[in-house]
Amino acid sequence: MIVRNHRRLGLLTAFLLTFLLSGIVSAQETPSEQTLFMTYVPNIQFSPVYVGLEKGYFAEAGIDLVLEHGDEPLGVDLIAAGEHQFGLISGEQLLTARGRGRPVVFVYEWFQRYPVGVVTPLESGIESIPDLAGRRVGLPGRFGASYSGLTALLSANGMTEQDIDLQEIGYNAPEVICVGGVDAAVVYINNEPLQIENRAQQGDCGDVTGVRVFPVSDAVDMVSNGIITNEVIIAEQPELVAAFIGAFDHALHDVIDNPAEAYLLSLTHVESLPISDALHEALTTMTADQAAWLADNPLTDPASRAARRAELLSQLKADFDVNELIQFEVLLATIDLWDADRLGLTEATSWTLTQDILLQMGFMEAPLDSLESAFTNDFLPPMNEG
Amino acid sequence: MKGSRRESRPAGRAFVPLLLPVLVLLVWQVIVSLGVYPEFIIPSPAAVLAKFVDVLRDGRLLANTWVTLSQTLAGLIIGVALSVLLGYAIAKNRLLDDLFSPLIIALQSTPVVAYAPLLVIWFGSGPTSKVVTSALIVFFPMLMNTVVGLRSVPKSLRDLMLSLRATPWQMFIHLEVPAALPVLLGGLKVSATLAVIGSVVGEFVSARAGLGWLINDARYNYDTPLVLVAVLMLAVIARVLYAAVGLVERRMLAWRR
Repeated sequence: MIVRNHRRLGLLTAFLLTFLLSGIVSAQETPSEQTLFMTYVPNIQFSPVYVGLEKGYFAEAGIDLVLEHGDEPLGVDLIAAGEHQFGLISGEQLLTARGRGRPVVFVYEWFQRYPVGVVTPLESGIESIPDLAGRRVGLPGRFGASYSGLTALLSANGMTEQDIDLQEIGYNAPEVICVGGVDAAVVYINNEPLQIENRAQQGDCGDVTGVRVFPVSDAVDMVSNGIITNEVIIAEQPELVAAFIGAFDHALHDVIDNPAEAYLLSLTHVESLPISDALHEALTTMTADQAAWLADNPLTDPASRAARRAELLSQLKADFDVNELIQFEVLLATIDLWDADRLGLTEATSWTLTQDILLQMGFMEAPLDSLESAFTNDFLPPMNEG
Repeated sequence: MKGSRRESRPAGRAFVPLLLPVLVLLVWQVIVSLGVYPEFIIPSPAAVLAKFVDVLRDGRLLANTWVTLSQTLAGLIIGVALSVLLGYAIAKNRLLDDLFSPLIIALQSTPVVAYAPLLVIWFGSGPTSKVVTSALIVFFPMLMNTVVGLRSVPKSLRDLMLSLRATPWQMFIHLEVPAALPVLLGGLKVSATLAVIGSVVGEFVSARAGLGWLINDARYNYDTPLVLVAVLMLAVIARVLYAAVGLVERRMLAWRR
C-alpha cells in the first residue's frame, strides 16, 4: 500500500514537473504571428485596425496580424512577457506597469486628446468644474482612465474627490443621468454624451433636454491610448515595429480622411454596427464622393478635416434616423480625438503630467527612474507619408 | 477500534499531506532562481511572503478576507437552507420533481460567471449580489445531494418504521435525516468550497472590497505578489471551510464508525 502511494506521488511529481517545463518551453517559443491586443470588444473605435486589415496595409508590411481582446492589465503583461507583440493600451497603464518592472514602451500616441470628460444635463445648473462641488458625480469605478481623468480635471481646478459626492455607477451613465440619479457623470466624451443627447431628442431622458461636456483635455494634456510593444522587440526587431506603425498610421490617415469608407470596412469586424441597405448605399456613395473630393481638395489641417466631417454628418442626418447613425457619430467624435497636425507624436510634457497624476492618486509609488524610456517617437513615419 | 487504527499509522504519515506543497514551493523557487521567467511573471516565494507580511500589517488582507468570508458564509447558509428545503419537497413529490428538474439541470449546467454580471445589475454592486451568487452556486449541488440522500433510504427501513406506526416527524428525524446525512455532508463539503468561488466571482464583476476585488486591484496595479497572496488566502479559506465541514461530519457520523 505504501509502495503504491509512493508510486502515485512519483507520478504526480512527474506530471507537475512536465506541466511546469512545458510552460517554460512554450513561453520561450517564438510566436509565428504578430498579435495586437485591444481592450473591450470589437468596436467602431478600433476602425483604423480594421481598415488596415481590410486594405491590406498590415499584410503589405509583412505582418500576419491577429486581433485579441481582453482587459488592459492582461494585455500589458502578455506584451511584457513577449507572448504578444503590440497592444492598444492607455498611457497611465503603461506607466503603472513600468513602475512594477514591465519592460513595455509606448511607440505611437493614437488618441491625441484624452477621451474622458464630465457630462452634465443642461438643466443641472453646472456650468464649470467648480460647480461640481457638493454635487453627485457618477463614475464607472475608482480605476482606469475615467478615474485618472476625473482626478486630473478636479486637480486642475484646485479640487479633490472629497469636494464632490462621488458615486460609482458602472458604465451606465446615460441611464443614470436620464433618471436623475446623478447630477453629472465621468464618461468617454466621444460616446455617452451622444447617447444622452439622442435620448433627450426622442423624449426618452426624463427632463433632460441636452448636455454640457467638460473634456479633461481642455484642462490638462494627459497621455491617452496608444500603441505599445516591449523593449526586446524594439531592440531585436525594430523593423517590425516600424512596419507595424507605418501600416497603422496609414490606416489611421484613411479613417480620418474618409470615415464613411472606414465604417463600411469595419462592418465585418463589428457585428453590432447599425446598417440598413439605404445607409449602406448612402455610405458607399459618400465614400466615392469623398475620395474624389479629396483629390481636388487636400485637407491639410485638422480644422478643415473636422469641418468636412461635420458636413458629411449633416448630409446623413437629413435622411437617416439618429439611432441608425449613432455609431457613425461615435466614429466621427472619436476621430476628433485622434486628429492632429502630427499623428502618433507623443510629448514628454504629457508623460510628466500623467505620471504626476498617478503619483497623486497613489497608483505609482515613486516616479520612474527614466520616464523617457517609457515612450519613443523613433518609429513615426515621415510626415509626407500617409 | 478507531483509536487503535490511528495509533497504527506510521509516525511519518502525518507529514505526507505536506510533501506536495513543499515540492511545489521547491520547484517554484528553482524556476525563480534559474531566471526562466522574469520576476513580474513569477515572483519569488520570498517576494510573496514579504507582500503577505505587508498587507497583513496594514490590515488590508484581514479586512478583505473578512468581507469575502462573511459573504461566503452568508451565501453558504442561505444556499444550503433553500436547497435542503426544496430538495426535501422534490424527494417526496414526483410532480415537483418533474416540474423543477428541467430548470434545475439547465441552470446547473450554466457557469456562474455567465450570469454573475446580471446578478450585480439586479442586486446591486454591494454584498447582496455576492451572497446571491454564492448561494446560487451552492444551491444546485446541495439540492441534488439532498434528493439523492433522501431517496437512498432503504425501503426495508421505511417499511419497518411504518409498521411501528412512526409519525411523519419520527420518520424524518429518526430515519431520513440519519440515512441522508452522509450524502448531505458530502454535498456540504463541496458546497463550502463552491461558496468561496461564488463570492469571488461576484467580487470580480463589481466590488469595493473582498479578496476578488483585491486581486483585480492588484492586477490593475501590476502587483503580482499581491495577486498570489490573495489567491493563496482564498485557498486557505476554502481549505478551512472544508476542514470545518469535515469536523462536523466526523462528529455527526461518529455512530457509523
